[in-house]
Amino acid sequence: MIVKTLTVTNKLGIHARPAGMIVDITGPAKSDISIVFDGSKANAKSILNVMMLAIPSGSEVRFEVDGDDEEQVVAQLEQLFHDNFNEEAC
Amino acid sequence: MTTSTKKPAKRVSSSSGGSTEKKSVRTVLVGVPASPGLAMGRVFPVVNREVSVVEESIPESRVATEEQLFLKAVTKTTKELAKIKEISESRTGVQDSMIFSTHVMILHDPGLNNGVMKMIKEEHKTARWAVHVVLGAYIEKFESIASAQMQDKAMDLRDLYNRLMAAMEDSGPVLENAFASEESAILVAHEFLPSFLMALNPEHVGGLVMDTGGRTSHVAILARSLQIPVVSGLRNVAAMVTKGDTIIVDGTGGMVIINPNEDDIRRFRERQEVFERQRQELFTMRQLEPMTRDGKYIVLHANIELPTEADKVMDFGATGIGLYRSEFLFFKKDVPSCEEQQEAYQHILETMAPNPVTIRTLDAGGDKLVSGITAMDEANPFMGWRSIRVCLDKEDVFCDQLKALLLANTKGNLRILLPMVSGMGELHKAKECIRKCREELIEQGHDVAEARVGVMIEVPAAVMIVEKLAKEVDFFSIGTNDLIQFTLAVDRTNELITDMFQPHHPAVLSMIYQTVVAAHKEGVRVSVCGEMSADPMSVLLLVGLGVDELSMTPWSVMATKKIIRSINFEDLHDTALTVLQMDDAESINEYMHKKYAQTIMELGISSFVGQIEKK
Repeated sequence: MIVKTLTVTNKLGIHARPAGMIVDITGPAKSDISIVFDGSKANAKSILNVMMLAIPSGSEVRFEVDGDDEEQVVAQLEQLFHDNFNEEAC
Repeated sequence: MTTSTKKPAKRVSSSSGGSTEKKSVRTVLVGVPASPGLAMGRVFPVVNREVSVVEESIPESRVATEEQLFLKAVTKTTKELAKIKEISESRTGVQDSMIFSTHVMILHDPGLNNGVMKMIKEEHKTARWAVHVVLGAYIEKFESIASAQMQDKAMDLRDLYNRLMAAMEDSGPVLENAFASEESAILVAHEFLPSFLMALNPEHVGGLVMDTGGRTSHVAILARSLQIPVVSGLRNVAAMVTKGDTIIVDGTGGMVIINPNEDDIRRFRERQEVFERQRQELFTMRQLEPMTRDGKYIVLHANIELPTEADKVMDFGATGIGLYRSEFLFFKKDVPSCEEQQEAYQHILETMAPNPVTIRTLDAGGDKLVSGITAMDEANPFMGWRSIRVCLDKEDVFCDQLKALLLANTKGNLRILLPMVSGMGELHKAKECIRKCREELIEQGHDVAEARVGVMIEVPAAVMIVEKLAKEVDFFSIGTNDLIQFTLAVDRTNELITDMFQPHHPAVLSMIYQTVVAAHKEGVRVSVCGEMSADPMSVLLLVGLGVDELSMTPWSVMATKKIIRSINFEDLHDTALTVLQMDDAESINEYMHKKYAQTIMELGISSFVGQIEKK
């Protein structure tokens, strides 16, 4: 299992669209993936769960990825956060 | 899911129209004229999809059927959303349509799907009950998170809930059925969601009739730009109609007639004929100058809500945009990026060039909430944290908008309008922001033309310091709705005092006159962009008071031009000075009616300006 902490650096935080982009990665992956924020842990394959965390800009988010393609998933997530979800940075 | 208590609609007259059937009673209802035009057709009730759901346990043998029902509903809804996305993309662009991709993703959410399937399989509940419980729980959770963004998402989920429920109904309303008939359908509902309207083919819809909403609802605004007549605010019309009833919709006068009798239909045909004839006639004169008989030129501009409307305003004879309400960009999604804004503004500015385009900076707050920006739950939102106050506090949002505006101004025809200014400090700060943004852009190597800057006169305080303001702005725009509301201390949404919302109150007219006098002393032009500028009697008063420009919905421009071409400015100026001395709005209205009603009625513009009421 890989545990990776990433920082949300887009201006608007994880609203509907970035949540969708996360699930675009986690949904098809073979690994089990959880997202942890502010003490709450949720299934990262569920857009509703990810959205419900209401993660604001500047937050640290922890991903727990466990499975065959865990390295690939973490790399993709890292890239996504690094690109600010193709939105304006804060 | 929530049912509001509805008050009965105001029934003007009701008599059995010679029919023996109880259902087809002729009923006249008066509501809000939300989008002009006339239509007659068959009622197609768009059931609010507010279906009643009952908890029902099923035997083991029905589990598979219910599972299939749910899975089919998901597939059907996915297709429906894909179709809406496609239509929406062609109409409003890819960015605004991404919301529908999110909807599809939510529809396939594992938490939602597994939850529903588990409830059917293990608890032996019906598919509908399972969706009601599982998706309902998500909606409640989203609603409980106190942020405007989450509230919006909860609304999206309710939209999905309704779609899924309708997809599981065997005899649920299928919109296509409405369009099988030759006559265009009149859609009737408790309320319409913007997504629903976006997905309609306007050619198949004769008109919309709804229980809720006013002139400024998002649906009304979309309908006006699609030229679909709408009567809203009818309170309980949805419960009064039956599918297939004949209904007449008068979006200009704000009236509907259910099951009209022969007289009604004859009158409708006559009015429709008049409407068409007047429209043809007005169109032929749309290129004529809006000049009074004694040679005073009154500039006529159009108010628009969607950037694409700019393509059409010149056809109506307007020579510029007097008001583009930029907050409509902000309603559709979260805060739009600088690039998205620039694209929208540039479209308007370049379409209209070299004609001037007035773009009002974000006017959020009051009754217009923008997700992610405005605060919720203010005790008195109209006097609260809104408009320029929000912009100056959220400088990043404001500067993004200003930069987008400045970058879009490639033709140099931009006029920036600052709303709700109540003191010199606000004007100074805003102008400083504009200066800073322009400098930054120039430093980055952009070629940025200087834009003219004006303020809205809509707070009485602005009128009291109007001489100071006039020295530091390029133009004034009087927002009559707010100015009347604040001057008379009358909340225009309060039904108990609607009769006190008097545009022709001497206090209001005096405010306008003071503004004009102070402005003209400094060579500043004055425009009026509220509802007043489309009402014939108000047009006469405004022109008489010396207002230079009037801005209104594109449809009203042609009729207003005809009024202006029929009158003498000198005479109107005398009239204005006379009525300023009068005691109350009633005397002013009576005087105006006596003097001008006949002239206006003879102009042949009744279809476009509503009725001239006898005072």
